[in-house]
Amino acid sequence: MEDRKLTEKESLEVITSMIALTKQRYIGDGRIMLMWGYLVATVSILVWIMLATTHQGYWNWLWFAIPIIGGIATPIMAHKQHQQNGVKTFSDTVTSRLWTIAGISEIVLIAACIVFEYAFGHNCWSAMLVYTLIAMPLAEIAQGLFIKEKSLAAGGLTGLAVGIVTICCVVAGIPLIANWFMPLFIIAFVAMMIVPGHILNHKARKEA
Amino acid sequence: MKELNPLLHSQLRLAVISILMNVEEADFVYLKEKTESTAGNLSVQLDKLSNAGYISVEKGMSGKRPRTICSITPEGRKAFEEYVEVLKTYLNI
Repeated sequence: MEDRKLTEKESLEVITSMIALTKQRYIGDGRIMLMWGYLVATVSILVWIMLATTHQGYWNWLWFAIPIIGGIATPIMAHKQHQQNGVKTFSDTVTSRLWTIAGISEIVLIAACIVFEYAFGHNCWSAMLVYTLIAMPLAEIAQGLFIKEKSLAAGGLTGLAVGIVTICCVVAGIPLIANWFMPLFIIAFVAMMIVPGHILNHKARKEA
Repeated sequence: MKELNPLLHSQLRLAVISILMNVEEADFVYLKEKTESTAGNLSVQLDKLSNAGYISVEKGMSGKRPRTICSITPEGRKAFEEYVEVLKTYLNI
């Protein structure tokens, strides 16, 4: 492309072709999603195994590895991804803010659970599971609808279904026993993060 | 008939503005790749758009490499919209 004068028709062609070029990508790749998916699945399996074999509740502290590792890795990966792409769109910003809000609300909830446990002596950690399985799927469904990516919407809906079962159990006083709940929790994250993450990566590779 | 803005009525500058209308920001490498232009020519045209106040150019570093990030300004957005309106009258759209 050069610095030359155009006819009116050529101007219109330049505008439409450039708009088409900027619309090509914008699903993005699934690396961050995969990181979260595998992180949650790995920690969940680890906690499940340790609880089942030792019957010691302190293994639940391992859950904190998820926000710590994920919270550190996400901004680093996002920054790198943004630099590689060379462009930031409106959908990138909306998606990033959506997940930031979801992430911050999770951290606030963790803090609230700690306060409830150590200041008031009430265990409300099941709220974490309920909130995670409601807020994260809703954020994912919103992202999926916004960037028109079916795998995200489908993954989010699967996670939300597990979330609805979880909230009903908690409200009904049905204990979330590790033997059935942990596999369900892991399945939800596989459907929400790992499957869509691989699909996004596959699409990103095809587009490249 | 109103005249088309001469600053935008150029192939490369119009291409750059059209891209920046659709993204929040884009770096120099992305613009060069999408417009299939040379670095020298693109750099000159970015300066012209920047001097007119149509785009903002932020120069920084990405690791050890320099990185130039461009985004459209409200003036640039307005100029592009006016350009399209005038273009429509020429093309009878």
